[in-house]
Amino acid sequence: MVAYIKLQYLLTNRKLSAFGVHPAIGYPLLLLLFIGLSTYLFNKTTFAPYAYTLIALYFTAKLSEIRRNDFLKICFGRIQYRKIRLLENLIVVLPFAIFLLYKEHYIPPFLLVATTILLALLNVNITYNIPLPTPFYKKPFEFTVGFRNTFFLFIIAYALTAIAVTVNNFNLGIFSLLLIFLTVLCYYLKPENEYFVWAYSATPAQFLIEKIKTAFRFSFYLCLPILLTLSLFYTENTGVLLLFTALGYLYLVAVILAKYAAFPGEIDLMQAIMLSITFIFPPMLIAVIPLFARQSVHELKRLLP
Amino acid sequence: MIDIRNLSKNFGTLQVLKNIDIRFEPGKVYGIIGENGAGKTTLFRCIAGLENYDGEIRSGLHPLKNYLGFLPTDPFFFSKITGKEYIRLLCNARKKEMPNLESKNIFDLPLNQYASTYSTGMKKKLALTAILLQENHYFILDEPFNGIDIHSNIIVVDLIKKLKALGKTVLISSHIFSTLKETCDEIYPLKDGKISPTVTRENFDTLELEIKAFTIGNKIEQLELK
Repeated sequence: MVAYIKLQYLLTNRKLSAFGVHPAIGYPLLLLLFIGLSTYLFNKTTFAPYAYTLIALYFTAKLSEIRRNDFLKICFGRIQYRKIRLLENLIVVLPFAIFLLYKEHYIPPFLLVATTILLALLNVNITYNIPLPTPFYKKPFEFTVGFRNTFFLFIIAYALTAIAVTVNNFNLGIFSLLLIFLTVLCYYLKPENEYFVWAYSATPAQFLIEKIKTAFRFSFYLCLPILLTLSLFYTENTGVLLLFTALGYLYLVAVILAKYAAFPGEIDLMQAIMLSITFIFPPMLIAVIPLFARQSVHELKRLLP
Repeated sequence: MIDIRNLSKNFGTLQVLKNIDIRFEPGKVYGIIGENGAGKTTLFRCIAGLENYDGEIRSGLHPLKNYLGFLPTDPFFFSKITGKEYIRLLCNARKKEMPNLESKNIFDLPLNQYASTYSTGMKKKLALTAILLQENHYFILDEPFNGIDIHSNIIVVDLIKKLKALGKTVLISSHIFSTLKETCDEIYPLKDGKISPTVTRENFDTLELEIKAFTIGNKIEQLELK
């Protein structure tokens, strides 16, 4: 088990180095980034504890991946496996739980830690051999795969919209819209195998336009129930609604372009910093989008001559 | 036609392919043989345009990659995509209409299941079906017989013969010499990054004997099995 933890530490160091950061700087930087983003989130919205809990659970769920855990079961005995899972899950959620306690929220951290322990101890091994139907099957793969992985988040978003209307809270409605956009943005964070770019008979510009068009169309379908509901019940706030929708689309373009600007690698440190700045200062998108567009066309030229 | 001139490929200081000159004609099937690490996959990836290289690769249709069906040794599949969706993805990429798969599913694959749950052989057959439905002019099949069952093996051999009859250019790498003997017009041995002179059909038996003699030698005796 000690060897496994050492190996994970080594892998994390390698990831940081590949990201262009020395581990000695990387860990304090990560901590600062975590505190900074957490403070920002809690200052921005009253729904931060819920969003925060969901984010923590998302990271824990990533560790519950079946094939990864099957590998751990093969390598270690049952007791060691449980210990590793418990330790890993706690390492992930404890910073979130501590920050929630610091912000004087007591129920979410308790639920978070309890869920995490349950996830580690229970043998969640459900194999879905029957594919989940998706409305996006005609244009694989981002939304086809993404929808199947995150469909529950859309249910939550639509439920939040319904609650927003019931309790007459427009901000909660906007939060549900942003939740959709954030979920969709995640579909474009990881680079696909280069074979699935190479396979396209298109120029880099045509390829990128096609990707953006698909993302726009399918995001619109997902946002439509929220947009219709909110514009119906909050006619006076249609302008604000349109503004957030437009911003969501702009971030979508920025993330898609950032992904291919770093292709076939993952988004690097500079690109991540630039994207982070746009989240704090949205007008920066005007500069960042054309820059990523140029970089992505350049990177894709090798595979799409 | 694919015309390769003076092709070289380095990975850092390691030269994997050394000044390769080959010409692949339409309506012919070519086999590339060599030990593991000889550079077969690298050669294929260079032809496909998945690797940068020194030298020149020209083809009748330009850009070559838009008319090329590439079956990798180990095809990649997304975790939650069905067989049908995988085929659709590759057809969409080439702007081809998605055909009616009922009649085209010659390997009887469970196309409505997640492709990631398929066995190695089924994955290979799915990837092969997808590149066939793309209606390509050139085909690179890297280890097409790996992991597939005997029935599908027979189908793949016949498929390659059909592609040849349709005037397509087919490049195959395989460690199963009998399948190469059955399908190829010419075989190019690749050793230490260099292409040896082409071996034509009438000399396949001699080539097989030479490979056996060279590969086995007295290695089995060295084990001193009792």
